[in-house]
Amino acid sequence: MFLQQLLNGLTTGSAYALIALGYTMIYGILGLINFAQGEIYMCGAFVAVLLLASGQVSFYLAFAAGMAAAALLGLALERIAFRPLRGTHPLVPLISAIGASIFLQSLALLLFGPNDRAFPMQFTFQTISLAGLPVSTLQGAILGAALLFMALLVAFVRYTRYGKAIVACALDRDTARLMGINVDRMVALTFLIGSALSGAAGVMMAIYYNATYPRMGLLPGLKAFSAAILGGVGNIPGAILGGLVLGIAESLGAAYISSGYKDAVAFVILILVLLLRPQGILAGWQRH
Amino acid sequence: MAAYFLHLAILAGIYIILTISLNLIIGYAGQVSLGHAAFYGIGAYTSALVSVYWHFPFPLALTAAVLTTAVCGLALGLPTLRLREDYLAIVTLGFGVIVDMVALNLEITGGPDGIVGIPAPIILGLSFRSQPRYLGLVVLCVLSVLGLTYRLVQSYHGRALRAIRDHEVTAQVMGINTPAYKIAVFTLAAALAGLAGVLYAHYISFINPESFGLHTSILALCMVVLGGMGSLAGSIVGALILSVLPELLRRFHAYQDLLYGALLVGLLIWRPEGIMGRGNMSLKFLQKE
Repeated sequence: MFLQQLLNGLTTGSAYALIALGYTMIYGILGLINFAQGEIYMCGAFVAVLLLASGQVSFYLAFAAGMAAAALLGLALERIAFRPLRGTHPLVPLISAIGASIFLQSLALLLFGPNDRAFPMQFTFQTISLAGLPVSTLQGAILGAALLFMALLVAFVRYTRYGKAIVACALDRDTARLMGINVDRMVALTFLIGSALSGAAGVMMAIYYNATYPRMGLLPGLKAFSAAILGGVGNIPGAILGGLVLGIAESLGAAYISSGYKDAVAFVILILVLLLRPQGILAGWQRH
Repeated sequence: MAAYFLHLAILAGIYIILTISLNLIIGYAGQVSLGHAAFYGIGAYTSALVSVYWHFPFPLALTAAVLTTAVCGLALGLPTLRLREDYLAIVTLGFGVIVDMVALNLEITGGPDGIVGIPAPIILGLSFRSQPRYLGLVVLCVLSVLGLTYRLVQSYHGRALRAIRDHEVTAQVMGINTPAYKIAVFTLAAALAGLAGVLYAHYISFINPESFGLHTSILALCMVVLGGMGSLAGSIVGALILSVLPELLRRFHAYQDLLYGALLVGLLIWRPEGIMGRGNMSLKFLQKE
């Protein structure tokens, strides 16, 4: 029972971690929170579901298309809702992002209707017994894919030219510009990567819950933000750890305290972290 | 038809109070609250509960509701306002979700059915059941709130708040206790939103969680941004436009949220100061530069 809940928590937590990475990377480079991250997650899920429902494409192609659509949406958002507002009072891009989030949510509502859509799955998953513990292969696949994405991201940031340039921009945008880094392009790249990860999380959770609907991004978006704070905003390993911890805490809270208040767990943690350790659990470690 | 106009006027008055309270947070303290409808809802629910179950007289119910929302505001503001402005936005958004969830799950709040039969206010033996009288009450409240906030923003404290909004570090260097100011104004704003909630509950006489969800918070935010962040006159204009316009455009009801979202982004890009700009109680925006 306990281990089962732990595994459930890890699965949803890995999705939170992927969205939290988007928050944290964008925060790191621009110092602002992209409120529409949850809608990017929703967009990824919808594109994959609609493509698969058309019956023309394979699962992997639909998954990649979902990620690509999310990445494009992130790029468009950066262009429309953030770039014209750079250098203003921090309140301004924040409110503009909220507006973008409402806009996308109601657009999805108009286009796709309020009802849940099932995920047209092409594989069948079974429950296998692992050391006496029933494990769903679906959970395993989600967890594996999420960890793979995270590992790719960490490697990208640490070992590639572009990754290092993003870190440089996050550390000091003006100095990075003096060093010949095209800051605008790096900001766009950050939005692209962060949004693609959120889109991947969206597709995975659309499979996991078998439900895709316009408001699906609201709560995961909020929880992922809590996860980003928990790990310390701007901190990539922190976002991963925060997401997993939050997923586990939520799943255990739902199992042992009350399932009616499952969604409240993340906010209680958020407020506690802000009260006790606003710099996040991984503060003091090397950033990025 | 007259009854319908009175109804609109009363609702607009309530929204003006809500908008002014949110504008205090946004336009004067430079913070964003995305759970403002939660305070509005807490005010409405508290007043409704004590009136219906404990038969509190209206003035006492009003006081209880305003105090409760103020305490909630204080409890939420204390941990978050010492930190960055974006934290408050998320925490209040989460708070809004939690309040919604609590109202839906608790037995005493009636779950999704809400509370019915909230009595019309009676003050000193005078009943405010009829619409014209209720409008009088709302206008009185709007004027008091306006007077209070106008005095506040024109005072030393108002200048301190604007200094914090424009540059927090400088304000701190000038000897302003920035966290204390931010927490105080947030608490005051929560209390005012609670007042708006009380007025709403006793007017409609029936409340359920639907009226106090994210949609209402966003609506209030749109009213503030449309009218002008940091302009009291703007709050009145914004609230009037956005409470009357949806009634005129009933046919496009489905597109309402879409419009609000586009409005927020578009306004911030092309006219971040809103309709009224920051010129308080002035019509400067009509003049040529």
